[in-house]
Amino acid sequence: MNNKTANNEKIIPYKMLLNALSTTKELVERILPEEGIPSLRFGLKAIESVISKYIEKANEGLPVVGYHFSLPAEYLKCFDCVPVCVEGTSYFLSAFLEGGIENYYDLMNNWGHPFHTCSSQKGSMGMTLDNLFKFDALICPTAPCDCTIASYPFFKYNEKFPLVLMDLPYLHEEKSFQYYAEQLELGLINLGKVIGQEPDFKKLKEAIEIENQVNKVKLEIFDLIKANPSPIENMFNAVSSGCTIFIPGTLENLSFYNKMLEIAKERYKKKEHYGGEETFRSIWPYMITFFSVDLLEWLDRNLGLSVLFDIFNYNFSDPINTKSDLGAMFYGMAKKGMSFPMVRQSTEFFDPFIDYCVNFAREFSADCFIYTQSIACKQFGSVPQLLREALKDEVGIPMLLIEFDAGDARMTSLKTFKDKIGIFVQTLS
Amino acid sequence: MSQFSDSFLDISDSIKNPYIEDWQKNGKKVVGFYCTYIPEELLHAANLLPFRIRATGTKDTDLGDIYMVRFTCSFVRATLDLALKGGYDFLDGFLVCNSCDHSRRMFELFDLKVFNREDFKKDVPRFYLALPHVITNEGFEWYRKEVEELKAELEKNYQIEEITEQNLLESIEIYNENRKLLREIHDLRISDSPKLTGSESLQINMANSSIPKDIGNKELKRILHKLKERETLNLDNKKRVLLVGSVVDNIDFTQLIENAGAFIASDCLCFGTRNYMDDVKIVNNEDPLTSITRRLYFRLSCPRMMDDHERRLDFLINEIQNAKIEGVILQRINNCDLHGCDNMLFTHELKELNIPVLNMDREFYQTDTSRLQTRIEAFLEMI
Repeated sequence: MNNKTANNEKIIPYKMLLNALSTTKELVERILPEEGIPSLRFGLKAIESVISKYIEKANEGLPVVGYHFSLPAEYLKCFDCVPVCVEGTSYFLSAFLEGGIENYYDLMNNWGHPFHTCSSQKGSMGMTLDNLFKFDALICPTAPCDCTIASYPFFKYNEKFPLVLMDLPYLHEEKSFQYYAEQLELGLINLGKVIGQEPDFKKLKEAIEIENQVNKVKLEIFDLIKANPSPIENMFNAVSSGCTIFIPGTLENLSFYNKMLEIAKERYKKKEHYGGEETFRSIWPYMITFFSVDLLEWLDRNLGLSVLFDIFNYNFSDPINTKSDLGAMFYGMAKKGMSFPMVRQSTEFFDPFIDYCVNFAREFSADCFIYTQSIACKQFGSVPQLLREALKDEVGIPMLLIEFDAGDARMTSLKTFKDKIGIFVQTLS
Repeated sequence: MSQFSDSFLDISDSIKNPYIEDWQKNGKKVVGFYCTYIPEELLHAANLLPFRIRATGTKDTDLGDIYMVRFTCSFVRATLDLALKGGYDFLDGFLVCNSCDHSRRMFELFDLKVFNREDFKKDVPRFYLALPHVITNEGFEWYRKEVEELKAELEKNYQIEEITEQNLLESIEIYNENRKLLREIHDLRISDSPKLTGSESLQINMANSSIPKDIGNKELKRILHKLKERETLNLDNKKRVLLVGSVVDNIDFTQLIENAGAFIASDCLCFGTRNYMDDVKIVNNEDPLTSITRRLYFRLSCPRMMDDHERRLDFLINEIQNAKIEGVILQRINNCDLHGCDNMLFTHELKELNIPVLNMDREFYQTDTSRLQTRIEAFLEMI
């Protein structure tokens, strides 16, 4: 086997993902009218462009670095490497690969991975067990959940891949940002040692500056969503979470959000709703159904139900200071890392989470909340009833709770989702 | 095997006990906690009674289920259920650390739903310790500061002028003696001629976690003496097993295993060896609080420590040799990802070493007994 072939076989799931994204993009472009699901059209194009570059880099022999989604991936731009999101791969393949990746979940379950442990890791673990992934290293913060803590040792102890850990305190305080900043710096230096590279902080700074701009654009979009009707289609949530975890720190990412902002502004001016008429406005404080993102489109078109945002689309942090010294930059990086989706909620107590949900309900004129409780997310397993009570008492709106597995339709199917939400929506009118 | 009868062991069957009543009669306070990663010696030095929260005897989780979804740990749900029914109203303080996603959320739920009940009038201070998930020098320094802050909070909340070094040294001595006694009892279990069963050992450990340690030491000495005098257990053809995994706070489960034909010769449980194998060592004039934290942080870990699986495996392998183990029973309470994945790795690693392994899941409260019994019996036959 020559080197190119060997390199070629290190990230087979990314190739599967590229094919799945390209095919979907082609379908969208060829079948839908020009204005059909723009977020999918532009988002898939952006992700496809970045992933194909990563595959080229992998073919050239650059080190393949698996990372946990809670590490903002632009931080890895200080290396000439191929960043592979462990969780994103599972969920985006379950969303876009025909037939999903249930066989890899089953492979891992049969190997002993508990059925209740997160499918976002389970999928990539199964693919690794099947020799489809060969990481040169993995890097992971110790957050946001038990599933992360529990699953990543598999890569180290069974697969013998070097695993770099950065301890992230489960406490959202000033001292935690300082500590995590040191952990981040140490983690990147250690990763560099493993893959034989010095971190290039100039490159890191450039990537962070791009993300600072992305953040600004996202905030503008977020502000426009307050309008009635919402000028953003539901599918934006799925695609935006993909962009957030797969392609941050790239111009493709910035371009995607700029395009979406233009569309949102245009629709806002015309008071236009993507699905025709907005009947109700929902907030999903947790996750969407990655196993079937078409639910979002169905909600828009069939029920006129806007999904204003999900957990990947309401966590914003301050811009990272890149103009001062490295210490200030790492401090900003730590603050952003600790405000990342799920990490923020996990490191905070429930009170702030409930408070900002209540405030969101008011600010965004939500008619309801739809809380999808994942089988894996135990850190959220005690919040639904508290949130339901707070929304009822303080805003007077109901919350629907649906238990599910975000990446596996077998637990709660698309049909069940449609039925439950369909009935729930009837109670709103 | 006949069950050892002693009033001390009976404490393990209930939550509250006469020692707690005596303690509180004198106006002294009880602080509840979930996990062995909290510095008990510090609480003791503050003249507080640390009480390890259990749900022993709880048969359902109806009330707990309102606030915790079904994918959460049934042990933690059962403790919440018990607390919602007033079972923990005797607490004067509540200390939680981020041991796992299930138990750390009790910090909020106890505040909002247990201590905030209309019929509950007491003001119960809460304390939170953020424990690192890796074992490093930086992590140790973080945890040391957390424990220092806890000391200040205890002093403030319980109007203690100062928890002195002398107080801490005295507590260390009492707790080290306590652990030494538990190890001596452990030696009587792992020996070729064992004097007590795994269920009895569990009872001793649970009872010991629910009373003041100076009394505990007296009781353990008495029990130790009684055990030494006792006849060696007749093991017949019972297989010597090592029990590993999630918290076990009820002998129903250990008896199920022992009645199926096993003798639980050792364990790796938090109401067991994980809690008493290491002592606080004071080295190089280190201040006692740092020494307490050092033991806590570097001792035999539980799977919530992300980078320490190898050391846990080494412990199992050593214990298999020490206690002449014939098979390992790995168990987890359903929805426990930490033990579930640690057990997954152990299964493959132990099988490679040709050590028979049973890896099973269960609920906290005794349910599905026939399935468990069948699996255990089949496993024991296979050894």
